[in-house]
Amino acid sequence: MLEVRQLSKRFGGLLALSSVDFDVNEGDVFGIIGPNGAGKTTLFSCLVGALRPTAGQVRFRGERIDRLTNPAVVKRGIVRTHQIVRPFRAMSVAENVAVAAYFGAGRRRGADAERRVREILERTSLADVAQAPAGTLTIGQLKRLEIARALATEPRVICLDEVMGGLNPSEIVGAMALIRTIRDSGVTVLMIEHHVHAVVGVSNRILVLNFGEKIAEGTPRDVLRDPAVVAAYLGDATPALEED
Amino acid sequence: MKIAARLLWLAAAIFALTAPLFLERGPLNDLWNLAFAVILASAWNLLGGFAGQVSLGYSAFIGIGAYTTVLLSLKDWNPFVTLPLGALIAAIFSVIIGLPAFRLRGPYFTIATIGVAEAIRVTASTVEFTGGSSGLRMPADTFDFNANYFAMIGLAVVTVVIAAWVKRSAFGRALAAIRQDIEAAEAVGVNSTRFKLAAHALSAALVAIAGGLYAINFQYISPASVFDFRLSLSIVLMPIIGGVGTIAGPIFGALIVSTLQIKLLSIPALRDSFLFVYGGLLIVVMLFEPQGFVGLGRRIGRLVHA
Repeated sequence: MLEVRQLSKRFGGLLALSSVDFDVNEGDVFGIIGPNGAGKTTLFSCLVGALRPTAGQVRFRGERIDRLTNPAVVKRGIVRTHQIVRPFRAMSVAENVAVAAYFGAGRRRGADAERRVREILERTSLADVAQAPAGTLTIGQLKRLEIARALATEPRVICLDEVMGGLNPSEIVGAMALIRTIRDSGVTVLMIEHHVHAVVGVSNRILVLNFGEKIAEGTPRDVLRDPAVVAAYLGDATPALEED
Repeated sequence: MKIAARLLWLAAAIFALTAPLFLERGPLNDLWNLAFAVILASAWNLLGGFAGQVSLGYSAFIGIGAYTTVLLSLKDWNPFVTLPLGALIAAIFSVIIGLPAFRLRGPYFTIATIGVAEAIRVTASTVEFTGGSSGLRMPADTFDFNANYFAMIGLAVVTVVIAAWVKRSAFGRALAAIRQDIEAAEAVGVNSTRFKLAAHALSAALVAIAGGLYAINFQYISPASVFDFRLSLSIVLMPIIGGVGTIAGPIFGALIVSTLQIKLLSIPALRDSFLFVYGGLLIVVMLFEPQGFVGLGRRIGRLVHA
């Protein structure tokens, strides 16, 4: 469904992404891990058109999307969340989500948009704060608002950038459950995550980046045993694999 | 409360539209001036307030509207028929400026708009068909006070209604999203360039019509009058003093600024002090109530209710 070929992004003298290749299949929960500065967020930015790749191609359902603008990519059904949350602070939570319902792939209006917003607020446990200004939310709520806004664009692929960062253990369990319901609703998930346990718990495939290069790709089990991954990223903290 | 406020606005509109029946020329002229100011401030607010794109080049659109009206009237057009054409030219021009200028963010955009407006003023003072720096005079017998009065008041009402509609519409939500975080807006599918261009074109068109009416009213225009940078400056001051991004703010701002201007201009010793007074007001607003008079009103409302 999503084909990434030889994708590179250069910022001046820094090669943030270096000829990265991978495929994401419909229905995947595709985890992306790697140390800080590995190029994970840059990869998302290139996928959705927020950054233009220096070289390489991104194809979505056969169509090249690497030269499209971010809104154009959203309209085709790929959306990303932001690691550092970016709510529209002066708007209410419901208005934040409504903007995405209006201008996402669904292009909904009026009562139809309102219904969709209510549904998504329920799903993301934000219904209680629907009328609160987004600027007053807790970090856990803001992370959910990022997801809610992305869902409101009615994506086929959602790119979650560290939605579990800063959450407490019980919130992480909730976030994992939410990601599973997103997958079960037919949306393909790409997720950048530092909580290795969480990624392993919900992903069926994992890509590992280090200094902009792909160093491994495969099932969680294989990837975590890969010596290159252990050396670059996991170190001594290699988690014991849990049976699902 | 909401209904009371709406009735109040309706009453104000009806008062302004029926005023020629019972008011003298003097106060009617003041009302005309106020309507002119309301149009400029409310239209600027569409882009500057709702979308947060602060332009200091709006005199360009007044001038385009004014010159279109005078030049075509000199070719025997009915002045009122020239107004939509001026609006169209200004809208097209706003897109031509906007395409490159909207690639700039924040203060860089603002500086670019000053540059463009000044370039137009200098051009209009140099080229021949605009009459150069000595300007142009409307043909004789093209002024009818009542027609001009109703047109200006009517346009002010239309502008405020458009602003209220935009604010509540999906278009307005897109502009608010752009103002608050342009990258986040793009990330949820808002094509920021398209909406900024649309807001710019809509406000440019409204301002250009007001510029055309200005030309009909004063019967004489020159680059120094309609392309004046101080005009651009007071267009920005009105919404900021009144309450940027709101519907009522630009109206209050227009009321305050145009009243002050009339009072100050009538005192010879204070004639040239109005920029000093505006600057002072601006500093006070920025320091104590960034939401302007509307914000101040809301604050008092909360105190009363508490």
